[in-house]
Order: sequence, then structure tokens, then C-alpha cells
Amino acid sequence: MFDLIEENPLLLLMMQHFDIDFRVGDLTMSQLCKEKGINEKLFTSIANLYNGFKPKENPIDSVDDVKQIVRFLKNSHDYYRNDKYPQISTYIKQLQENHPEKELKLLEKFFNEYFAEVIDHLYYEDTVAFPYFIELISHKPNNKNNLYSAKEYSEHHTDIELKIKDIKNLLLKYVIINDDLNLRRKLLFSLFELEYDLYIHSLIEETILIPFGYNMERV
Amino acid sequence: MSRHRLHIAIMVHSQIIYEGLHTVLSQSEIDCIICKVDSLDDLADILHSKKVDLLIINPLLLVNREKEARKIRKNHPGLSIVGINLSIVDNHSLALLDSSFTIFDTVEQVLSKLQRIGIDSELKAPSNDDNLTDRELDVLTQLVHGYSNKEIADSLNISIHTVVTHRKNITSKTGIRSQSGLTIYAISKRIISIEDIDLQNH
Repeated sequence: MFDLIEENPLLLLMMQHFDIDFRVGDLTMSQLCKEKGINEKLFTSIANLYNGFKPKENPIDSVDDVKQIVRFLKNSHDYYRNDKYPQISTYIKQLQENHPEKELKLLEKFFNEYFAEVIDHLYYEDTVAFPYFIELISHKPNNKNNLYSAKEYSEHHTDIELKIKDIKNLLLKYVIINDDLNLRRKLLFSLFELEYDLYIHSLIEETILIPFGYNMERV
Repeated sequence: MSRHRLHIAIMVHSQIIYEGLHTVLSQSEIDCIICKVDSLDDLADILHSKKVDLLIINPLLLVNREKEARKIRKNHPGLSIVGINLSIVDNHSLALLDSSFTIFDTVEQVLSKLQRIGIDSELKAPSNDDNLTDRELDVLTQLVHGYSNKEIADSLNISIHTVVTHRKNITSKTGIRSQSGLTIYAISKRIISIEDIDLQNH
């Protein structure tokens, strides 16, 4: 596992989402999964997403796997809500204070509105979408006329990555800011990190959770 | 010649043909740098670090490698591919080429074909130009002032469909999708002034 982390440090983020401590010692990936009670196939599929490969088949084998994925996604929500977005917000605020240009004031406003949208979306997933999937596995066929469905989830599931791209493009291409490279680099790095994790997050939802939901509903 | 220097890669297995092409190109008035590549993988590696304008290739080397060739074309739209035909070539491989010549063409014929491609490659080089047309600027201005597609269509006397097309073009040129993002773009580019927006917000 140590070698894998050394090759792609972003796996640390994945481990955190899985509630795995970073001190992996000499454990192999397989030993680590066994110790943490995580399906190795699932773990590998998600690690591969972080390494740029999409899964060929759905790695969900059991009810536990669905719970595991939902926990993973919820943990990444915490990471967005409590770590990444506040961090970006602080950088943008700082930037706005350092530079009088009005564009930056607008950028801050843009970001804050967007942040509020994201919080709404995360709340919706935590309280509506995820409980639905947990319900789906616990007593599957009895409520066919359920008000909610994986289809609805996939439709509601908006691309919150797009506005991050806008902010990145504005900072890299258009908005003129003099100097302040340290702060701007930190901001951009944060944006890239967030964008990357959001991308994987939506891949997990689209390639693993939603197809699984469709299958279960058909049963 | 005032045009930019062409980077040319040559992929033929025959040393004689490579040397021949090298000599013809070096002695011509085409301002170029030439390198030899042994395979498409090789070329892809070079393309990672350097810009190549033109690949001269024996089309037989493309047989069964169409997928790789297409991928290279897709990732490097500025690259032109010219075939040097030593024999009859099948249509699949020909379809991957921008142009071709044969080993029986005269030096002049070969050079004139390559020069034409050289000009093309300059035109094909991706421009980072986000210059919007006058019409796109009109649409953008109204958009950042909060008008709907319908309102924009009515005021500019165009169809909603056309407004949507302009919006798509604006997004693909600027890389910015959201209305708030476009507002900041428009101010940074001095397309609208900040006061216009302040009025909006009050």
C-alpha cells in the first residue's frame, strides 16, 4: 500500500474517505482491506478511478458494499463541506482584500452563491438520495411505487464541477491580478484538488451507485 | 521565408528513402527541422514534449494502426500527415492522410505539396483566440444583464435557436459556462463596465 501511495499521493484522500488511517506500515492493499472489512474489489475499483481507469464491471457484491460506498460518499461530502470549500473561500476572500479590482468582488460573490448551491446539493444527497439506496438494499421489492428512484437521482444529480471550471478559467485566462503568486497558486491548487475529487465522486455515483440502483429496482 | 519553421517527422523504414527526403528538404527553401521516427508510439512520445507540424509516412506503416493514428490526430489537430507511397495503398490508410506523393514524383511536385501543407498547418494551429464576433458580443452583453434567451432573441431580431447557438459559441470560445462567470469575463475584457452591473444589483 505504501508503494501505491507513493505513486499516487491522492490515494490518501481516498483512504480518508474510506476512514482508513494513513499509517499503513507494511500492509499490502489486500491485508489492509481485510483488516478494515472492505471488499477488495470495491477498493481496487475506486483506487483505479483515482489512477484514471474506469471500472469494467460493477464492483458491488453485497449489501455491505453499498453501505461502504454511501459512507465513502458521505465522508467526501464532509471533506468538501468542512475542508475544501471553506479553504477556497478563505483564499478568495483574502485575494479580494488584497486587490481592489471589482471583478474580484464579483468572483467572491459568485463563489459564495455557488458554495450555497453545493451545500444544498450535498444536503439533498445526504438526506434523500443516500437513504433511498440504503432502503433499496434492506427491503427491496415491497415498495415498487416508491416516490423516488435511481433515475430521479441521476437526473437531479447536477454537475457541480462546472462552476469550478469557470472560476479556474477566469483566474487562468482573464481576470488580471498583479503578483500575489503564493496566494493565487494556493487557490488554484485547491481548485484543482477539489475539481479532481468532485470528478471521481461523480464517477462513483454514475458508474457504480446509479447502475446498481437500476438493477435493484428491476428485481 | 517568413513563415515559421516547420518541424517535420519522417517515418519510413528505408534508410535510402529517409536520406533522400532529408536531402531534398534540406536543400529546398522550406525552413524546417527534420527528425526520424520509427513508430507511431515513438511519434506520440515526441509529440508530448515537442510540436510537430508534419509527419511524412509510408502509409503501409499505418495498416492495422488506424486507431493509434486517429488518436494522434485527435490529440494534435495541428499535425498534418502526408503519405509517401511506395506501392498501392488501401483506402483505410489513405483516409488518414492529408495528402500524399509517390516516389516517382519530381522534387518540385513533392516540395509544392509539402509547402501547401505547411501553410495549412499554420492555419490549423490551434488559436487561443477568444475573440467574439460582434453578434456574440451583443448576446453576451444582454446575457450578463440578465435577459432571457427569448428577450435577447426579440431585441436582436433573431430566433431563439440562433441565440442558443451564439451562447454555445461564447462558451466554447471562452471556456466559461455560467452567467456569473461570463459577467466577470465581460468585465475583465472591458466588454461591459462594472457600473452597468452595479446598477443591475441595486
